Amino acid sequence: MSNVGLSRLRMTALPPWSGVLMLLVLLIIVLAIFEPAFISMGNVNNIIRAAAIPVVLGIGMTFAILTGGIDLSVGSVLAFSGVFLSILAGFIPISLAVLVTLVAVTAIVGGINGSLIGRIGLNSFVVTLATLGVFRGVAYLVTNGKTQTVDPGVIVTALGDGNVGPVPGPLLVMIVIGLIASYVLRSTYFGRDVYAVGGNEVAAQLAGINTRSVKMTVYFVSAACATLGGIMSIGRMESAAPTAGAGLELAVVAGVLLGGTRLSGGVGTIAGTVIGIFFLTCVSNALTIIGVSSYWQPIATGVLLIAALLFDRFRLEPSRRAKKIKER
Amino acid sequence: MEMRIGQAPGDTRVMMEGISKAFGPVQALNDVKLALYPGEIHTLAGENGSGKSTLLRILGGVIRSDTGRVIVEGVEHDFPNVRAAMREGVTVVSQELSLVPALSVAENVFLGHQQVREARGINWKKTQAACSVILNRLNLDIDTSVPVGTLPQDQQQLIEIARALAFESRVILLDEPTSSLEPNEVESLFQVMRQLRDEGVAIVFISHRMREMLEISDRYTVLRDGRFIDTAPAEGVDSSWLIERMVLKRRATIGQASVTTGAAAPGRVQLVEVDKLRDRSGRVDGVSLTLFSGEIAGLAGLAGAGRTEFVETLVGYRHRESGSVRVLDKEVGGTTRDAVKAGLSLVPDDRRYKSAVLDMSVRDNLLLSSRGAPWVPRSKSQEGAIVRGWVDKLRIKTSDIDAPLKTLSGGNQQKVIIARCLQVSPKLLILDEPTRGIDLGARAEIYEILRSLAAEGLSILTVSSELEEIFQISDRVLVMHAGQLSADIPRAEATEQLVIAAATGHLQ
Repeated sequence: MSNVGLSRLRMTALPPWSGVLMLLVLLIIVLAIFEPAFISMGNVNNIIRAAAIPVVLGIGMTFAILTGGIDLSVGSVLAFSGVFLSILAGFIPISLAVLVTLVAVTAIVGGINGSLIGRIGLNSFVVTLATLGVFRGVAYLVTNGKTQTVDPGVIVTALGDGNVGPVPGPLLVMIVIGLIASYVLRSTYFGRDVYAVGGNEVAAQLAGINTRSVKMTVYFVSAACATLGGIMSIGRMESAAPTAGAGLELAVVAGVLLGGTRLSGGVGTIAGTVIGIFFLTCVSNALTIIGVSSYWQPIATGVLLIAALLFDRFRLEPSRRAKKIKER
Repeated sequence: MEMRIGQAPGDTRVMMEGISKAFGPVQALNDVKLALYPGEIHTLAGENGSGKSTLLRILGGVIRSDTGRVIVEGVEHDFPNVRAAMREGVTVVSQELSLVPALSVAENVFLGHQQVREARGINWKKTQAACSVILNRLNLDIDTSVPVGTLPQDQQQLIEIARALAFESRVILLDEPTSSLEPNEVESLFQVMRQLRDEGVAIVFISHRMREMLEISDRYTVLRDGRFIDTAPAEGVDSSWLIERMVLKRRATIGQASVTTGAAAPGRVQLVEVDKLRDRSGRVDGVSLTLFSGEIAGLAGLAGAGRTEFVETLVGYRHRESGSVRVLDKEVGGTTRDAVKAGLSLVPDDRRYKSAVLDMSVRDNLLLSSRGAPWVPRSKSQEGAIVRGWVDKLRIKTSDIDAPLKTLSGGNQQKVIIARCLQVSPKLLILDEPTRGIDLGARAEIYEILRSLAAEGLSILTVSSELEEIFQISDRVLVMHAGQLSADIPRAEATEQLVIAAATGHLQ
């Protein structure tokens, strides 16, 4: 009896992201020993700034994946949002343009993804794969393929690259968005509904949850995060490129899954997502420091994504694995 | 020991001795034995968790035992997998069907075993012919080229058995084959079982229904808590013999119907009125019905009669085509949210697919139907008090309300779902097959809960495929046939014949 209790305790006491956290710590220790430059203030600052945008996108992605869906359009939406803001900034003050962009782009993107997936019930993978193409295309069309220079102003710079007092602005954005998202998932009825829809959609509906509206809402959340990411990228680059964020969805999805969120939904945390994306960012930063060609980075990300899925598989089915080992 | 059964040990087709099996810290089987003779239907009796399925799965090669010997026709075997067992003529037909829905009947029957193979590949004509021969043995007259997924559940079950026959099995292990079948389908399954027995096949049968065990068995072996308790031929075995051995020192009075008060009480109030309800698929074809406070109405019918579809339309899960539902004279909208708000709560029939969110905590599962505005913070302490209240009231066995629901046993999961429905203070509680796959102890507890709820003035509608259950708990018996209500009988006037006549459309 006490045995059962103990193993159950061990199962629930360890959060699903503890594995990747261990890896992250291990990576930092190894790099700190062999490449002291890795833990210099300057480099830590770099890592935080490089991780900020993927983390914000990953937080939105976590909502989508928790319902059992996925949002592949985030990279393109980031570019679309940046281009949208750069054009708007030509007509109205930048601070107002930021607000309008946040509302308008979130409404457009969330409206399209959300109603096609949530309301009509189309497959999230296919819908967001399509909008990945659409919004990238629109960004190219509107800019005619040219990078738009933008004067980001104080606010946008602070969001994307600057400091607020001694603290890097992107770090603050991450912390605030992360805390809000974490609070919503853990302590509101909407958050519980997100887990319920991903865990068992039929049960959620029969329990009286409006599953369509939950599924629709998560794509608004993801769109809002990607839009914010686009605004942050302008602060970082001082320009809006239609190519911005290309391929970013790979790193974001990989980070979310590395962080212990289950691809089929129902299980996952914001903390895990943050850790997962920081892990990927550290890996790619380390590759750069060591002097490995940047072409290796997507390969590393891809390999780690598959590793994360394999890890997840074994964590989920310890009994099956144990049985197989026993049979050998 | 087996000698006293009265047959020479050389006659056994299967001998299992000293079988033990542990899953982690849980000892599922402990020194269990089983002797199977050719041409017998051997019932393995025991409560959930007594180790019946584990024993079958070891014999069928699904899992391996830790210790013990399995002797099939005089030769000792240790089956590493299902195919190895099938090669020796032992086939397990599991609780969950293992057919491929999109493949044809013939393909399924010979799955992994396409015996009519030629140089060019599989000869489908001959395969189908061979399949027809097997289906004939089972009195099944169906087109062997249709996809299995399009067939009703009972026929799929028979196709599983056909598959066993395709492997020329001499031992067939049926793990709860009747749990999802209707009474008439059970009867045709029994016919097939008897026929196979007469052809010399040894059949092991598991069921939770006492009546089925008593009807079909030639011999019994009783397990309790993973241990062998007793074995005996059918002569001299009755329900009290079995219950005595299956249930240790627990109330063995299940089966004594105590017809309750509710319905006859004059103070009852008309709570729910359903008028000509139809769903879009046509499975529910104009059901009108009135339900009263303080009564338990039992809804009987055969599979495909539309009972589950009816209750699911009632609570807005299936799309309503026409008709209306009124609670206390107020119209109820067509979504599940509307239904919950209006006081219609459903405990669905299939826990795994329709009600349990297994990775979610007991707390969140229990409160899944309760809600405030979406962005309002939840109070964990207040919630905890509510959840612990239900855990006490319904005697839910859990150490931690924040543990995932999957750590609870089936019966306790079901109680959590019932608590979920009660927490929203429904006017009408609907239960679809509330005791399917639940052991006798938990079943009695659930009946008790329902009675006390009815006494408190709740209206209860129970869908059940077990007539015994309907008669045992209902104040009023409703019967559906072909999407329509075919009978509405007070408990006192309801007889088995009447219900079956109504269920088969032979009333009036």
